[in-house]
This record gives sequence, structure tokens and C-alpha cells, in this order.
Amino acid sequence: MHISEGVLSPAVLIGGAALAAAGVAVGTKNLEQKEISTIGILSAAFFVASLIHVPAGPVSVHLILNGLVGLILGWKAFPAILVGLSLQALLFQFGGMTTLGVNTLNMALPAVFCYYIFRNGLKPGTGRSVIIFSAFGAGFCSVLMSGIMVGFSLYFTGEAFLPAAKLIVAAHLPVMFIEGILTAACVLFLRKVRPELLEEANVPKQST
Amino acid sequence: MLWLLFFPALVSAHNVTVFAWVDGDTIHTQSKFSGGKRVKNAPILVYDFKDVLLLEGKTDENGMFSFKIPKKTALKIVLKASMGHLAVWKLRAEELDEAESKTAAEPTGMKAPLETKSGSVDIQEKSESSGPTKISLERQEIEKIINASLDKKLAPITEILADSIQRGPGFTEIMGGIGYIFGLVGVALYFANRKRKTDD
Repeated sequence: MHISEGVLSPAVLIGGAALAAAGVAVGTKNLEQKEISTIGILSAAFFVASLIHVPAGPVSVHLILNGLVGLILGWKAFPAILVGLSLQALLFQFGGMTTLGVNTLNMALPAVFCYYIFRNGLKPGTGRSVIIFSAFGAGFCSVLMSGIMVGFSLYFTGEAFLPAAKLIVAAHLPVMFIEGILTAACVLFLRKVRPELLEEANVPKQST
Repeated sequence: MLWLLFFPALVSAHNVTVFAWVDGDTIHTQSKFSGGKRVKNAPILVYDFKDVLLLEGKTDENGMFSFKIPKKTALKIVLKASMGHLAVWKLRAEELDEAESKTAAEPTGMKAPLETKSGSVDIQEKSESSGPTKISLERQEIEKIINASLDKKLAPITEILADSIQRGPGFTEIMGGIGYIFGLVGVALYFANRKRKTDD
């Protein structure tokens, strides 16, 4: 999912960086102190997740975990994913510094979308099956949307959209299922251990 | 898993590397994903230092692609894996110069029968039919023999080098990254705290 340097046209790189910067600005506005540590922990989880390979036949893809990040953080997924991606680029040579903006956008925007689509399913008082379904959906759809967005990034640079997007989505099908299951497991676990973490996401922020 | 069959050129999602080395008059390239999986059926483009495309080809099942040296300049070898992945390896001109001196020795007509006879026998025969020019030819022969055996001996080392260059991230990087994140959290908390104090 990390786009390498030298693949995209400058226009796409600049556009992606600008949109990612806007997302980060929204995400870091009115940060509360206790949210900072949550962002840090999820950023670390996102950073490490890319090292877990999913061997599936001839392909080897890795976990992304942007669904979980989005579900818990909402717009704050932008700074969390930006930090994770920067360190992946610096230390693992995944992606690159010039593509940081585009990659952040491609992974964080689906996370935010999934937050709005699926957060209602995590409200306190909802049934267990609804929670599992919502969390699975968030994990599954965020990877799917990221794949489509990578396809679009390549398309704007001049590659044909459909083959590129199809390829990416097909390669990530196993990841989508695994991420769905993982996200569901994480949410169930968090609900038991630290329910306030999930409630934070659902309570509209009170201005202090 | 049926759909996998339709995407033989498929790939991993993060990092690709290409590594190239010179062997005689051929250049071998090896392409891998981080994690060690070979890049199959991916196009490889070879440019000279002025970014003029010299030739292109595809990696085989083992991620290898070999070609004759197209031009004696610094070469840029670009691997284009799908899904927006790209890797570059640069070969310096000196590496190719080595090969040039070897191939230049060939047109003199002195083919060293390395596979059939041992080198020492061959040189002895040559010195029997000696003449003043023979000394330089012998030198060429010896050079060829040394080069060939060096290539053979260095081949495993080149491969180890290729493997070590293409290794995925290790423990140090992972721990370092997590440390960075926690450090950033600390910095952010510090500033948040300071802001709150001034607000009070």
C-alpha cells in the first residue's frame, strides 16, 4: 500500500500532501491531553503492523490496521498515521518522504470515513453482534478504500485505473478479512478492558 | 484463493529492492520484496546516466534478470513492481570497466580452454611455441584464468551481499521507531501541559 518514490507525478504528490496536511490540521485541533497518549499508542500499533506479513499464495502483503486507528481516533487518525508512516519511511524504507503526503491521505482518509460509517455500532448499549459487525466492517472497508485510493493515485499519474485498482484490491483481500477479524477482536477486548477509549470516540467533544 | 491464480505478477505491499552486479560481460539483477519474496514478472528498465532507455526486460520466477552490458557507462537499473512500487540500483562506471578489460582481451583470439584443461597445462603449451609476443599473451591468459576463478569464488559472496542489502527491517529499527513515537508523545504532552498551566 505504500507508494514508492518516483512513481507519482509532482501534481499528485503536492495535492496529496496538501490534503494530508489539512487532515492533520483538523486532527490536531483542540487536542486534549489524554488523547495524546491514545494517539501515540495507536500510532505505534500502526507502525508495527506493517511488519506483520500475511502470506497468501504467491503474494505477501502486510497488515495496515488503519480501520482500528480510525474507529478509535476519528480525525485524529491523520496525525497518528502520519507519524507511523514517517517512521516507516525513515527506518524501513517503506514508501518514501516525498510520497508521505499521498500515503497518509490514502490510509487516513478511509480510516476517517469508516469512523463515520461504523461508529454508531460501537455506542454503549448496542448488542455484541452489532459491535462485531461494525468493527469488522471498519477493518475490512478501510483497507478496501485505501486500495481504491492507491488506484486513484496511480490513475492521476497516468496508469489505467481499473487494472491497478483491481490488482491492489485483489492482493489485499486476505488482509481485509484478517483486519476485519483483528479489529473486531481489538474492539471487543477494549470494550472489556478500557471501555472509555471507545466511548471517547462517540461522545461529541465538549468544548472546555 | 482462486483469484490468486489470475495475478501471477502480484506482489507485496511495501518495499521492493533491486540489486545488480557484473559478471564477465553480463549484468545480473535480483529483485526482492522486503521480507525476502522474489519479484516475479516485473519489468526492469535499464538507463544510462543521461536517462536514455537502453533496454528493458522482465524478471523470471526467481526475481532474476540478466543482460549483456549494453553500454560502458554508469547504468541505472529501475525495477517497476506493480501497485506503485519502484526501486533503483546504480552501477558505477568502474564496475563495468572491470568487465571491459576482460572482454577486450577476447578479440585477440586467445580463448582460454578453462573448462577442458587446467590453466597451467595450457600456459606450458603456449611457451613451447614461444616468440617475443607470447609473454603478453600469457599474461592475458593468466589474467583470464584469475578473473574466471575470482568470479567463481566471489559468486557466493555477491549473493550474500545481495541478501544483506535486501534484508527487511530488524529489531533495532522496530524498537527505535516505537521509541520515537513514545518520545513524540512525551513532547506533545509536555507542550499540552504547559499550555494548560498558562491557561490557568
